[in-house]
Amino acid sequence: MAILPILVFGPMVMAAVCYLIGRKSKQGRDLAVALTGMATFALCALTWNSEASFSLEGFCGLGLHLKVDGFRSLYACIAAFMWMMSGIFSHEYFAHYHNRNRYFFFNLMTLGATLGVFLSDDLYTTFIFFEIMSLTSYTWVAQEETPGAMRAAATYLAVAVIGGLTTLMGLFLIWHELGTLSFTGIREVMATYQGNITLAVWLTLVGFAAKAGLFPLHIWLPKAHPVAPAPASALLSGILTKSGVFGLIVICANLMPHNAAFGNALLVLAVITMFLGALLALFSVDLKRTLACSSMSQIGFITVGLSMMVLLGEDGSLAAYGTVMHMMNHSLIKLVLFMAAGVVYMNLHKLDLNEIRGFGRKKPVLHIAFLLGALSIGCIPPIGSGYNSKSLLHEAILELVHHLEAHGHSALPYRITEILFLISGGLTVAYMTKLYICIFWEKNPVHQEKYDGMKHYISKTSALVLLLSSLVLPFLGALPEMLMTPVGVRSAAFFGQEVLHHEIPYFGAANLIGAAQSIGIGLVVYFAIVRPLLMKKVDGVRVYVNRWPAWLDLENAVYRPILLDFLPGLIVGAVRFLCELPERIVLFLRGTAFRKRQKLHPVPVGNRITYGIGTALNSIAVALNATFLRNRPLRTDFEYVLDASWRELTQGTHRITASMSFGLLLMCIGLFITCMYLLRQ
Amino acid sequence: MIGSWYLLIPVLLPILSGLAVCFLKPFEDMKKRNLFTLCVMVVNVLALLPVIFSGEMTLTLFTLSDSLPIFLHTDTLGKIFAAVMAFVWAAAGAYSFEYMAHEENQKRYYSFYLCTLGVLMALCFAGSIVTFYMFYEFMTLLTVPMVMHTGKKDAVAAGIKYLIYSVVGASLALLGIFLLSPYVSTLAFTVGGVLDAAKTAGHEGFILTVTFLMIIGFGTKAGMFPLHGWLPTAHPAAPSPASAVLSGIITKAGVLGVIRLMYCFVGAEFLRGSWVQTAFMCLTLFTVFMGSLLAFKEGGLKKRLAYSSVSQLSYVLLGVASMHPLGFTGALLHVVAHSLIKDTLFMSAGAIIHKTGKTQVAELEGIGKQMPVVMWCFTLASVGLVGIPPCLGFVSKWYLAQGALNMTGVTSFFSWLAPAVLLISALLTAGYLLPISIRGFFPGHDEEGKLKFFEKCEPTHVMLIPLILLTALSILAGMFPGSLVELFSALADVLM
Repeated sequence: MAILPILVFGPMVMAAVCYLIGRKSKQGRDLAVALTGMATFALCALTWNSEASFSLEGFCGLGLHLKVDGFRSLYACIAAFMWMMSGIFSHEYFAHYHNRNRYFFFNLMTLGATLGVFLSDDLYTTFIFFEIMSLTSYTWVAQEETPGAMRAAATYLAVAVIGGLTTLMGLFLIWHELGTLSFTGIREVMATYQGNITLAVWLTLVGFAAKAGLFPLHIWLPKAHPVAPAPASALLSGILTKSGVFGLIVICANLMPHNAAFGNALLVLAVITMFLGALLALFSVDLKRTLACSSMSQIGFITVGLSMMVLLGEDGSLAAYGTVMHMMNHSLIKLVLFMAAGVVYMNLHKLDLNEIRGFGRKKPVLHIAFLLGALSIGCIPPIGSGYNSKSLLHEAILELVHHLEAHGHSALPYRITEILFLISGGLTVAYMTKLYICIFWEKNPVHQEKYDGMKHYISKTSALVLLLSSLVLPFLGALPEMLMTPVGVRSAAFFGQEVLHHEIPYFGAANLIGAAQSIGIGLVVYFAIVRPLLMKKVDGVRVYVNRWPAWLDLENAVYRPILLDFLPGLIVGAVRFLCELPERIVLFLRGTAFRKRQKLHPVPVGNRITYGIGTALNSIAVALNATFLRNRPLRTDFEYVLDASWRELTQGTHRITASMSFGLLLMCIGLFITCMYLLRQ
Repeated sequence: MIGSWYLLIPVLLPILSGLAVCFLKPFEDMKKRNLFTLCVMVVNVLALLPVIFSGEMTLTLFTLSDSLPIFLHTDTLGKIFAAVMAFVWAAAGAYSFEYMAHEENQKRYYSFYLCTLGVLMALCFAGSIVTFYMFYEFMTLLTVPMVMHTGKKDAVAAGIKYLIYSVVGASLALLGIFLLSPYVSTLAFTVGGVLDAAKTAGHEGFILTVTFLMIIGFGTKAGMFPLHGWLPTAHPAAPSPASAVLSGIITKAGVLGVIRLMYCFVGAEFLRGSWVQTAFMCLTLFTVFMGSLLAFKEGGLKKRLAYSSVSQLSYVLLGVASMHPLGFTGALLHVVAHSLIKDTLFMSAGAIIHKTGKTQVAELEGIGKQMPVVMWCFTLASVGLVGIPPCLGFVSKWYLAQGALNMTGVTSFFSWLAPAVLLISALLTAGYLLPISIRGFFPGHDEEGKLKFFEKCEPTHVMLIPLILLTALSILAGMFPGSLVELFSALADVLM
């Protein structure tokens, strides 16, 4: 079907077209970008109920395999939707930026590559587009070219390249072991596979986990988001992290379907990510950094769902439903929240909570959008769409606990998981409350009047985009049977799970109690920790302070020192020594055994010939001076003149001819000896 | 069907034209000379086509003795190398017209440039090891003046260093030919080797040792540790177009030497599983790592690229050493990839030096704003060299790694180590190439907080067209490597 390559390569072609348009007219370019986004979304929507595949054999060696089915068309639609919305929003946001042409070129390139990832049907194709996506999205982070942005971008690129290469190593091994990389092929082979493939799987996982932002490879997330332009942040957080999750899903569903050890290990990482992300978000005093850490935490929730699916084996349908719903929710929520943050930034060019506090007062559009996003991510029923997905994830954990206890096993680790799950949910409520109250209720001690006077803080188009994106959320929250369950149903096959046939009690008592617990914890944390501990009074005004110790930063404390100082310092010396060894030996020999001997009888000036001729000429000159040239005597010393010209003659050519003839001579001798030797036989 | 005399055309045409450039009066004029040189190189590529698409041919040039003919023979391996070399040689030659325009002694440069092309063609089609050796030495001698071209002190010193290393390497190979000749049935290259089983019995250890020395000897040209030292010295001293072909093409002659030796002279069966394979593999792995690491630490642009060549050429040798069809396919793919990519990189570096005079990586801030097309080519080539899809470097790495994982005869430790070293080296490659592009395209702000501004200084089309052509080819070949892979794996199956 021709629609698949168009979806993938069309945006890439349009990237070039938009670039060319952009050199003539900025308005035209922005329009073209928006239209490309809409067209891509429309095309993605066309695939909603169809199943199609496309393959281009021999592409990059193993061929390109694309396929669209339930889950893939869902995510292609979400990706295209987010690009469309953020693309339209960009027009206003980027109005005063430099290098916009570059941004939009790489933006559309990334759209194509991202769709390539979400539509791929084998890990090879996934990897190809994943790498392209990683590289092209680099420019988003580096867009502003400030030192901070460049540093964050370097981190982003390093994590992407290291992760990508590690994944490649994993793919080498998987291909070597299984002989196939297609999703269904892997599943079939794994059904009867007896060998050990754990290492290959973990290596493959690294690149995807890094992109998803899973601990301990999350380091790029909190750094990259605050410096990237807001529409790019929305995409980075909402979609690019999901492409990492896509890889995790493929691995969990096809390579490690019922592997308890793998599930447990993944669960540990997931829980750490979930909790740590929420904690970092709580401490942060930067709007976009908070949202970035929140993304990390939400990815943790999603991965908890995935590991539950692995642990539950064939009964993992509920976990799979929860996972895909939470992915979708998170994408849509982060689109709204980052665009809202973008509105703040494009007016104030600041993100520090103390600077921006009070900006949202008397700005209903921004207020509604942000509130809907916050309610959704805080999982407040019934209009918070996050509530539905998180309830399912919670239910999946409980299912595993009951399952284990019914069989007489200890379920303590999963009880702890559940508690951390609820606490992380509570922390989510707490940090969103912190942001919400800070921006929309508290008054700015200095600039409040100026902020209140900003009536034209957003253009009509941007406001429409923001509202439209946010109004999706309450519908998803309030009508889960109608809107959420079908998402789970269409995705089950991709997750390797059966479709659930019973009703899902979204608003059942157990789920509501879980939500209430989280909200309770959140409010307690907000009033007992955030307000008394994370704020202090300065000159009679309470300000937000960052209590997170500066040294406690994985990137600066561990990765950079090891990778940039320790390892190179250790190895380079040894390698350089070995590298120069042959030349050192030669130098050593020259200094000892082959030292040039001092000349025994130094010739006064020049060599013997020039000296001889020079002396003869000098004596002739003396004779001439005495006779014919008495009036105009020759004063030249021919010894020196001849020596100088001789040197001039030899110096330029001597070295060249000497070495040439040396080489020629050796070759001739070599050939001669060869002939003699062979003739003799 | 063409007669075997036809083989003289690709060999003699460039050599005679080179002599003509040197001695004929009309070619004093730069325009005429450049046009003539370009025509000769293009005609040479076209003249090669009938050779490539016809069957195997043999042409005896002359005989040193009854048992020692100097003859040419066209086989698939030779055709592949000849095609790559002739094409890239022409592209680099076309590029050099602008670069060399302000240099002195251009006549000498182009004369040697053309002669070397003819010798390279003969080298690719050499039918016996003595023929190969002869043209190998010719090639060394003809390229020395190109390294020394500027005539400055460091260039001359670099040229001499290059010469000495090459001669040492070649004499190791020559020594090997003497020592092995009692054990062979013929000196002509034969698939599967020419060792005479009856004569070799009992002397295996000796023959293996000699083979190892010969591998090191031919490996010198391919920049393999321990005789890699000439590369980082010769490249920065030579003019950029010369560096480009030196790194992209001349080093490949060393690779061809190793392949001929291992598969057509000693024989794959004899070497598989022996200590020579293991030792060769260790050397290549170490060189891969060493080259990348030193490139990572190097500040001079061309020297960095030279170290990179050291590393990348050992990728190729690693594939040769794996003695597995997949690995061998990967090696040949990487020969193509590296020729295209490294030429692009050196040509971009040359354009930068030519236009701005900057030679240090640290000075290249904003270079992407100054010459966007050049730096785009540089960036795409870099990405290809790192091995990021969809460039050819990725495909070749895939095959190299699969070859290493599947290989037999070496302890399984190496099957793991080899792909790991390849990837670590790829990481370092990203570390030493991408920052150049990044700083070039993202120069940042000045003290006043304004974006820095750079005047454009793109070179002319003469430089850009070959550059773009090679870049585009390296990416297109990566996207659609099907026919290359088929050809190479068929050859690999024959040789193994």
